[in-house]
Amino acid sequence: MRAGPDIRALVAGLAVLALGGVLLLDALGPIDLTFAVIAPVASAAAGAILVANGLSR
Amino acid sequence: MDVNDTQGNGPDQEPTVEGPQAPAGDQPTAQQPASGGPAPKRLTRTRGDRIVGGVCGGLGRYFNADPILFRIGAVALVFVGGAGLLLYLAALLLVPNEGESAPIAPGAQGGNRGWVIAGVVIALLFAFPFLLAGGFLFAGVGIPFAVLVGAGVLVWWLVSGEGPSGSAGEIARRAALGVAVVIGCFVLFFVAGFGAAAGPDWLVPALVVAAGGAIVAGAFLKPVRWLVPPAMTIALAAGVVAAADIDFDGGVGEREYRPGSSVDLREHYDLGIGKLVIDLRDTDLPKGDVPLDLDVGIGEARVIVPDDVCVATDAEVGAGNIAIFGRDHGGIDATYENAPTAKPAATRLVLNADVGMGEVRVHDSRGERYFDPRGFRPFHDEDPELSGDQPVACVTTG
Repeated sequence: MRAGPDIRALVAGLAVLALGGVLLLDALGPIDLTFAVIAPVASAAAGAILVANGLSR
Repeated sequence: MDVNDTQGNGPDQEPTVEGPQAPAGDQPTAQQPASGGPAPKRLTRTRGDRIVGGVCGGLGRYFNADPILFRIGAVALVFVGGAGLLLYLAALLLVPNEGESAPIAPGAQGGNRGWVIAGVVIALLFAFPFLLAGGFLFAGVGIPFAVLVGAGVLVWWLVSGEGPSGSAGEIARRAALGVAVVIGCFVLFFVAGFGAAAGPDWLVPALVVAAGGAIVAGAFLKPVRWLVPPAMTIALAAGVVAAADIDFDGGVGEREYRPGSSVDLREHYDLGIGKLVIDLRDTDLPKGDVPLDLDVGIGEARVIVPDDVCVATDAEVGAGNIAIFGRDHGGIDATYENAPTAKPAATRLVLNADVGMGEVRVHDSRGERYFDPRGFRPFHDEDPELSGDQPVACVTTG
């Protein structure tokens, strides 16, 4: 049993989960994605993964 | 580059940067002066720390710096007209190997050294202009390759948590694995994009959510960081498809329709990937509003109208261009709306065009010749003949 969660994997998983959630909302209808929305959302997700990787080293 | 350049080391300075001193009583060598004082600091090519000829390793030892800095500099100079390559070759000829007194170049010692150096400099001056073009050509291939390798190292760092440390071979191995991951993700991007455009809308986003859930669960049980790059790749592909509103209904290919009358003209045309042309110049259109919907996933939707038809346009392009009577409206999330009023008893085409990635073009016979692929100039905003004016059938410009 691990002592605690792997922070890098946790942040990456949450970022992917958030991105998938936004895509699912678009597919199911509540929101209408455009490049103006998806570009910053995807950049934020990738940035969170990189920052978590850098800080937990 | 004076290979036997001494540093003027005094007694308080480091005696040498090279191997052990010869035993007392031995004849003086090139590395140990006969005076018995400290050996002069000599530039030599290393034997142990070498990738090609040990030049950068020797420079690193000579200047007491990490040889990787010189290696990066040498590679960078290769892109400047091949200067790095020439300088390296010159150093290979003029700088002796570690433990040897003579360099490779015959005659590059004693009184001839000056001539050899002068010869190399002259050769450099003559060869540089010829190598400059080759250097730029090499840069065109080398720089993207270097970026790819850098991306590979970064990806491997993200996936494995191992930084670029260790021997050159280990770094190369990790970079190669990272490049393989990058290439794999590149392929996956298109596969996932195709799946998102052709399959049910919810399928790929649901896969991304499942992957995210698996990575989160793995963070508490057993980390599955390798899943992050493919999950992000799939998410990006699905994001592009969703943002551009691409779907592959209507198939793939080039379709051209020339309806003879309004009966033959459908209200809606679909195409997944390719070029869709609706040529209405010979169509007998009724007076009043005639609706026309076009939906192209990736490619071009083009409508050619008769000169006496007014056109009301509502066009959207996820990424690309909308060219209406010669006026361009391009970019990301591009939209164009114009609803002019038609003259009494004239036909007004009410166009609704949606292209995911590509172009919407609308023009009349004035513009047809400018699209001829046999070599006419394209539309231009400043073109006096094609200033974006609506056909004469419109009363107002909307």
